[in-house]
Amino acid sequence: MLRAMLPRQPVLDPAVAYPTIATLRAALDAGDWPAARAVIDTAAPVERTLLLRACADREGTEEFLRGVLTADPADSAAAVLLAQRLMAVSWAARVRRKRGTPFREQLVEAESILVASVSRTPEDLAAWTARLTSARGLELGLPEARRRYDRLAELDACHLPAQSELLQQLTPRWGGTWPDAHTFARAATDAAPLGSHNAVLIAEAHLEQALGEGGGTASGARRHLASTPVLAEVSEAAARSVQHPEFRRTAGWVQVLNTFAMTFCLAGELRTAKTLFDALDGLGTEYPWHYLGDSAAGVIRSYRIRTVFTRGAPVGGDR
Amino acid sequence: MIKQLEVDGVPALLAPVTGTTHAGLVFRVGLADEPPARRGITHLIQHLVLDGHRNGRVGAEHTYFHVQGSAERIAEFVTGVCAALRRLPTDRIDAEKKVLRSEDQPVGPLPTRRHGARDFGMAGYPEWGLAGLGAEHLNEWIARYFTRENAVLWVAGDAVPQGLALDLAEGERQPPPAPSAALAATPAWFAGPGEEVAWDTVVRREARAAVFANVLERRLHRDLCLRSEIAARVGTEYQPRAGRTARITAVAEPLPERAGAALGGTIDALAEMRAGRIEPDDVATVVELTCRGLREAERKGGRLPGQAFNVLAGLSVRSLDDAVTEASAVTVAEVAAVAATAYEAGLLMTPAGTSADWGGYPAASLPSSPISGRTLRARGNRSLRLVYSDEGVTVVGGGTVLYDTCAALLVGPDGSRELVGEDGAAVRVDPAAFRGGAALIEQIDARVPARVRVDLRSAESEADITDAR
Repeated sequence: MLRAMLPRQPVLDPAVAYPTIATLRAALDAGDWPAARAVIDTAAPVERTLLLRACADREGTEEFLRGVLTADPADSAAAVLLAQRLMAVSWAARVRRKRGTPFREQLVEAESILVASVSRTPEDLAAWTARLTSARGLELGLPEARRRYDRLAELDACHLPAQSELLQQLTPRWGGTWPDAHTFARAATDAAPLGSHNAVLIAEAHLEQALGEGGGTASGARRHLASTPVLAEVSEAAARSVQHPEFRRTAGWVQVLNTFAMTFCLAGELRTAKTLFDALDGLGTEYPWHYLGDSAAGVIRSYRIRTVFTRGAPVGGDR
Repeated sequence: MIKQLEVDGVPALLAPVTGTTHAGLVFRVGLADEPPARRGITHLIQHLVLDGHRNGRVGAEHTYFHVQGSAERIAEFVTGVCAALRRLPTDRIDAEKKVLRSEDQPVGPLPTRRHGARDFGMAGYPEWGLAGLGAEHLNEWIARYFTRENAVLWVAGDAVPQGLALDLAEGERQPPPAPSAALAATPAWFAGPGEEVAWDTVVRREARAAVFANVLERRLHRDLCLRSEIAARVGTEYQPRAGRTARITAVAEPLPERAGAALGGTIDALAEMRAGRIEPDDVATVVELTCRGLREAERKGGRLPGQAFNVLAGLSVRSLDDAVTEASAVTVAEVAAVAATAYEAGLLMTPAGTSADWGGYPAASLPSSPISGRTLRARGNRSLRLVYSDEGVTVVGGGTVLYDTCAALLVGPDGSRELVGEDGAAVRVDPAAFRGGAALIEQIDARVPARVRVDLRSAESEADITDAR
């Protein structure tokens, strides 16, 4: 009986929340480029950027995409998909720390494809977003990442996927400082309308700092996240995004809710976290939960179980 | 309107001007004519001729002396230059060498990487020849290049000044050197010695190429100085050559810590222009400024030096109308076409410690292949090895210089030898650093012809003596 009440294992596949991803995957797997373009071209800007990245896990699509790009070098959707795929292969090789794997070689190829693509189609937000990821991988430095972001921001000053990429670069791990990261997160939040997703950058920045300074553990992270000013800022960010009446479940919403959920969990605000878990209804994301364990799904479930047994206002006993 | 006449057997160009009258005497000789072991010889002659005046310049292909002022001043100056070339004041050789050593500022490695240690690559090397140059070398050089047949006079004024005499020795018109190619392929990149990002290319010499150079500068300024604060200064230069080609250079000097962004911005700007993304407003503005500049130059006699270079190259003098017509007809599509060919021929110098492989550029490489033979290992540095045979020397993982094509052998104050190949490859042998180094140095000294030997020890001791005085 109790077992039945416990949360199910969460679903991490983004295609469950966004069936468009499944359609695009099917088109790519079938080698049907017109069908793929039909999906990509009708997507809204943020959705398009996320779609092109979400298919980076499709093994064996490289040759197909190279062929598409050879036939039409101006096809920036194919260029971004191929670059994202090559970067995924490259990052995976780095994570596995295999000796002799061409980690840099694939990044260089990805970046070269993107350089050529933005030279033809400089208005492609997804390409500039991908170039923020490749800039980190190639260790081109913060000023170069900033330049790329500036080019993108001329086109759209509120493109959240790119803002998250730049935020990573602004952390000390990639050559920035915590004040830089928070300043950027606040400015991007202030510049976006109420109810938009961008306020999640404030949670991301604090989460990154908490984990960075807390040795990557949940208990270490609490010190930063549970402090009064940090909690107040994260709560305000939640109020103007996930808790705001104008909040919309557009592309990326699952990760936004998960990011706030993890932030509140680590801060000990289990009641707030529970409302977010309830809203997610079993939908999870790798980021940011993967920071706490190899199985993001397992981590999410264990935190969700804790929130189930939480009653009343912020639980003092949990601190 | 430019009139063509002859003064004392020397072709002369005369054009009336508004404002100050001026004149110049140009010879078809420059850095590109200097062998490595004579590098600096033209500059030294220019200094001796001018006796401390700064009215002279040595370029890649041309050396000129120029003066502003009254007809009397012009006549006196030009006549004086010819007299000094006839009787070079050799007593000032040591003093002027000292001045040159303090002035010497090599222009960076782009020319040598592109052309090697010869012709148009020589601009990238220091004035190695100074130490070994004596009066006899200077007079030989003058007899070959500073002659009546190898000179053109220009006068920006109403008439050739009374009393102006061009008493020059007879000689021959010297054809301009042909640019050599040291690179195996372009486009290519290499890492430079500092923070600067620099790029050069070679294109056909025509108005659209000059417009492209200026459009590129506007673009770099917008991307690196206005859109983001990346560079303290950007600039491009269009340098026409006698051989109907032109070299275009672009430079970005980054603000502190911004070298990576200067590189990224330059790579993107070049790629976007190559892809045909040229701002029509930029082209219109540059064309307008070019035409205005041409008219302004015509009024002040500013077109005369360029036309004098044309005459030396055997080309005809171009009228202002022709120049304006060609420039004003340049279209966006033509600039895009230049951008595409310029990109293909481009050589990119990245800031030290960075690379441009990610920007679609292969690493610059020399066509020479390594020597096989005896190996010398460095003391206390396992990774540094030399391989040598009767043919030449290779630094393992570095360059190869063959004795047959050795352009310069630099003998250092520490007894080291640096071989510089015609293609610009350099191999340094320090006898103290290598086991068996002394034997290799003996072989090098025996095989490399004395005419390419540059003794930097004498340069240093001379400098010491001069300083001690």
